[in-house]
Amino acid sequence: MIKKLKGTKDILMTFVSLLVAVLVYGIFLIISGVNPLDIYSQMITQTLGNGYGIGQVIVKSTPFILVAVATTISAKAGLVNVGGEGQLVLGALTSTIAAVFLLDGFPSFIGIPLMAVAGMLGGMFWSGLAGVMRVCWNMNETLTTVIMNYIAYDIVAYAVYGRLKDPESFNWPMSPKIGAQLKLPEIYPGVSIGIIIAVVISLTTWFILSKSTGGYKLRVIGGNVEAARHAGIPVAATQIKAFLISGAISGLAGMIEIAGVEGRLRTTTGTNYGYYGFLAAWMAWNNPLAAIFTALLIGFLSVSGNVVEISSGLPSSCTKILMAIILLSILWKGKKK
Amino acid sequence: MRKEMKKLLGTGLAGLSVAAMLSGCTGTEGGADTAQVSAADNGDAAVVGFIFVGAKDDYGYNKAAYLGSLAVEEKFGDKVKVLRSENVPETEEASRTLEQMIQQGATVLFPTSYGHLYPAMDVAEKHPDLVFYHQGGLECADNLGTYFGTIYEPYYLAGMAAGAATESDKLGFVGSFPIPQVIENINAFELGAKAMNPDVTTTVIFTSSWSDPALQTSAANSLIDSGCDVIAQHQDSTKTIIELCEDKGVYAVGYHADASELAPNMWLTAAIWKWDELFCDMAETAIEGKFDGSIYDGKYRAGIAEGVVDLASFGPSVSQETKDAINEVKQKMIDGTFSAFSGLIKDQNGNVVCEDGHTMTVDEAESMNYFVEGVIGTIEE
Amino acid sequence: MYGIYGETITERVGVINLGTEGCMIAGALAGYAFTYKSGLPFMGVLMGALCGGLLAFIHSLLVIYRGANQLATGLTIMFMGVGITAFLGIDYVSVSCKGLSPVAIPLLSQIPVLGPVVFNQDILTYISYILCPLLTWFLFKSRSGLILRAAGEDSEVLSVYGYNPKLVKMAGVILGGMISGIGGAQLSMAYTHTWIENMTNGRGVVAVALVVLAGYNPKYAMIGAYVFGGAQALQLLLQAQGVNISTFILQMFPYIFTIFALFIAAKSGKQSAPAELKKIIESSAN
Repeated sequence: MIKKLKGTKDILMTFVSLLVAVLVYGIFLIISGVNPLDIYSQMITQTLGNGYGIGQVIVKSTPFILVAVATTISAKAGLVNVGGEGQLVLGALTSTIAAVFLLDGFPSFIGIPLMAVAGMLGGMFWSGLAGVMRVCWNMNETLTTVIMNYIAYDIVAYAVYGRLKDPESFNWPMSPKIGAQLKLPEIYPGVSIGIIIAVVISLTTWFILSKSTGGYKLRVIGGNVEAARHAGIPVAATQIKAFLISGAISGLAGMIEIAGVEGRLRTTTGTNYGYYGFLAAWMAWNNPLAAIFTALLIGFLSVSGNVVEISSGLPSSCTKILMAIILLSILWKGKKK
Repeated sequence: MRKEMKKLLGTGLAGLSVAAMLSGCTGTEGGADTAQVSAADNGDAAVVGFIFVGAKDDYGYNKAAYLGSLAVEEKFGDKVKVLRSENVPETEEASRTLEQMIQQGATVLFPTSYGHLYPAMDVAEKHPDLVFYHQGGLECADNLGTYFGTIYEPYYLAGMAAGAATESDKLGFVGSFPIPQVIENINAFELGAKAMNPDVTTTVIFTSSWSDPALQTSAANSLIDSGCDVIAQHQDSTKTIIELCEDKGVYAVGYHADASELAPNMWLTAAIWKWDELFCDMAETAIEGKFDGSIYDGKYRAGIAEGVVDLASFGPSVSQETKDAINEVKQKMIDGTFSAFSGLIKDQNGNVVCEDGHTMTVDEAESMNYFVEGVIGTIEE
Repeated sequence: MYGIYGETITERVGVINLGTEGCMIAGALAGYAFTYKSGLPFMGVLMGALCGGLLAFIHSLLVIYRGANQLATGLTIMFMGVGITAFLGIDYVSVSCKGLSPVAIPLLSQIPVLGPVVFNQDILTYISYILCPLLTWFLFKSRSGLILRAAGEDSEVLSVYGYNPKLVKMAGVILGGMISGIGGAQLSMAYTHTWIENMTNGRGVVAVALVVLAGYNPKYAMIGAYVFGGAQALQLLLQAQGVNISTFILQMFPYIFTIFALFIAAKSGKQSAPAELKKIIESSAN
């Protein structure tokens, strides 16, 4: 009974904090000289009021969900993986390389899974490096993953300006288009099956983490490394494994960006997606199921913020401000333990 | 377990409740329910949409295009409603933004960055009745024309000023990314400088950013330290380097806009954009339904002759002799008797990239992937 | 540079502030804008510090009193700093203001090679030279430093002695934010004489990383900052020499250097994260 009350209070608090955020931003809009009611109604009607808008929110949220799940897995093992960004970008790179150089002639049913594997390997390679540095040389993983994000951008730029450049692009830095048969099937115009993959992965992760012994081991390590060692759990191996899986999922997110959305690699593909995913994970207190919703929220905010900018003439920075205010108020709600 | 579910529900509801609450706001306003409402708001006015890759206040590329969009707004007043979106990345995000503009009633769209081309192509295919003008593209579609200014022409002229001014015979160039638009300018700059002073070299540093003032400062300092006494640039925000040049006492060549007041002593000149009239004319053509078959239906390139690009004012140190030489070449460019990229041109490795007597085509010039002889720097093969 | 010192203090009290980027950009705008308005660089630096401190205040409030996740809050503060400054800063993009100019120190600046580089700088850079020993003294020798560090190591001990550990932590985070703010101000007012949105461009994030690298000690933080800055300068220098290596590979240099330095640091066992910080990182993982 008490528990139930507490749950209701929690939901109520979420509402209240969101209401505060919407009010604060409303005041901000009034100061900027626009009518907040107009803006809010446009945000709703033009993103959630039609199929295209909803589709875009879903497409935008898909990589956030995957990176959030990836972040969660390493977090459960007591590791802070801020490298979702670099792992995603590198996954996008390797899957594009595979698609362009190897899989061009393959039919969908072989080509797409192989491309996914390539993307996952790319992400795994990048997270694996950080994992090895962490476990074998005791190098702080928060730091290495952040730094490796910047290196990943440069690797992609190197590839896209160099060998991977589309010969028909008049020397603009972008990869060739991947074969049409390698694009992910669509479940709705503009929306690929990527979202289904993301949701399934987050459900599976949730299940494994909370139900299986592997998940239990992971949580023990995350709780207390020493205790885990005493209990005979192979800490190093498990942490590396967690990092590898986490990188594979981020890499898959990169592959879905390529095969489901972009169709080719550019230097800016996926920029900041990793950070948004990281944010979604921590907002959801590293619960893979809740992360679906926080990722959708972030996706909604970024898509609808665009609408505000176009119709009201406010500068694009206003979107970031709105997002920050809403996120802060959710964080303000704090952790209920 | 139970607790976890609650927690989850709490966070999950966060997403839903924003939606719920926002629609609550809609309700109080009296139910503006569909996207059509905002389209109807436009009345009889035609809607023109602009998307920019960076911030409109960057004092560079985007600022120039933004000023063009303001000119459209001013010229047509109530008859045209202008929509804008800044910081639109060159990914599928661009299609998304274009679609959103179309939902708000836009019928003429200006994606203004090179990387917006393919997203715009996709959107154009879905909306055959609308008109798209892409800035800088080399491919067109039925309802998508591309336009650009041959900015390398004034950059060649600026190179002449630099070649005449340098005493160390070393020019510096702070580039952004090794893409054809930038490479063209660097090559034209070196060719122009060489026309005045055959020994001159141009050293290039890329910053991999359109506007990172700290990196610009370091890069320009590096060039100055290695002996360059003229610094030119292809950056979106040009102010930092120009002011640095004034401080350090080396000559400054600007870009995008006339910034002579930032370096009263060391300013040479700059290659600048003048989109206003072109944008107005393009918008008018499309709104009146005359796009098909017009000069803009295809690859439209305009240069110094048309007044879309120009040379900025000269600084105090440019001698009358140099000015005369530059103006003479400029007049030849206007008359069509001279092109920056014509005659025998060799690349860094001595390979001939332009035969004697040949003038490069738009496609050849705009897909450059090499530095000409005399440029010191590296680009991917 | 300053960002790193600021973050060292912040982490010493057991809090990570990924929002250092936000504090820096806020300081950059505030410093530039207020110098422009008032004509007094001193005002700019002060306001830069205050604005950096303000963002850090929000961060500390959420993290310390509301128990919000540090990393997520920090990221949000970063987005907020970048967003708000981009919005408020529009009017200042094109304005020119002199800010702080280099002041050559007589005699010392005449030293060949090193002289012009080290002793012909702006005032804020000079302050950064002495800030390192100053902070080292403050953190490890002074009483307030001891209290700050105690808050990072074991807050319960602190409360036994009658200090409110939460307040002490907050003070530390805010102080850190203020120093980061000055760092931002130095970037806009002294180094570039420019304000443009997002001009810190990830430097705050790198600063956070370098603090960890430096083993939470201002001395090593200073070395870390110079290694990173030096590698950056080296890659530009190599480009200026026309070295035939891809630009993008050269641009990886500073980051690869940093990772390599971290490897050495880890090997020699220089890292000792404040206990509370470890605890927080570990517990927030659940």
